[in-house]
Amino acid sequence: MNDSEHLTRRLPNDIGGLPAERIQRTEHDLEPWEKRCHALADVLDFHKIINTEEKRRGVEALGAEMVGKLTYYERWITAFANILFQKGILTPRELARKMDEVEARSVSNPP
Amino acid sequence: MNQGRHDPHDHPHDDRHSEISQSAHPGYFDVMETAVRELLVEKRLIGPGEIRRQIEVLDSRTPALGSKVVARAWVDPGFRARLLANGRSACEELGISFYDDTQLIVLENTDKVHNLIVCTLCSCYPRPVLGLPPDWYKLKPYRARAVSEPRAVLAEFGTVIPADVEILVSDSTAMVRYLVLPKRPEGTREYTEEQLAGLVTRDAMIGVAVIDVETSGVPQ
Repeated sequence: MNDSEHLTRRLPNDIGGLPAERIQRTEHDLEPWEKRCHALADVLDFHKIINTEEKRRGVEALGAEMVGKLTYYERWITAFANILFQKGILTPRELARKMDEVEARSVSNPP
Repeated sequence: MNQGRHDPHDHPHDDRHSEISQSAHPGYFDVMETAVRELLVEKRLIGPGEIRRQIEVLDSRTPALGSKVVARAWVDPGFRARLLANGRSACEELGISFYDDTQLIVLENTDKVHNLIVCTLCSCYPRPVLGLPPDWYKLKPYRARAVSEPRAVLAEFGTVIPADVEILVSDSTAMVRYLVLPKRPEGTREYTEEQLAGLVTRDAMIGVAVIDVETSGVPQ
């Protein structure tokens, strides 16, 4: 087998059976935005806007570096944005403007 | 962006958030979530109250629902048979609604077989009956190793399964989720259904633990 051949066998998240570290029994209560993100995923699925398979493929499509460095719900929301762009439901410009607006609002009305 | 989180070593799925303080203004991804949601509401693709309602649904799902299912299966052989035949419809019999379109397969532990569930690709989990999965279920070590060295993984949870008991690992998918029906522990003949439900833990329904009356702390 040459060096590149093995790369064709697995996507970044296809890790079943690979060697890995010891189990760390970590748990955390979700941050409010993480719970909202989870609820958003469910609602997107209910409305057939983004289903579970599309979400998983959207996370895979982020590539190994983002999959490795973003946290679980950071990957989800980034994947949702990309999928919504691909489907023509949102545009990157529209999202950037809305994010600026949300950011500005939170600065003028801190929690 | 995303201040306060540092991931210096190769620990890709470790979701640590304790360093984020309440007073800090929202992080980049928090803002992104709000922006995506508000745009979808403005475009009338989702309703303004839907996220709030779904959060309430998520909050209503805890392992206590799964415990109720397991205890009923232990005391009612007819229910047990229906549960093993069709997990979803048997749970619905107990009033547990499935808010998604997933199927549920219930795997019964016996003297010969111990079941373990995993999602190697991501984090599929029987959420309608157990709530959201613990972090370790979503992290690489569990997902990678549960299918190749389940006994070593179980030992790291303090669970030792006798060598003559087969370990069956079931890998969940987007549409098919699993729930382990643990063995009813010895010495519980006199227990009420409610007392039995009190013995059942989330980890036993994932398969990383067994139920032990001695250590459960439930008074006899």
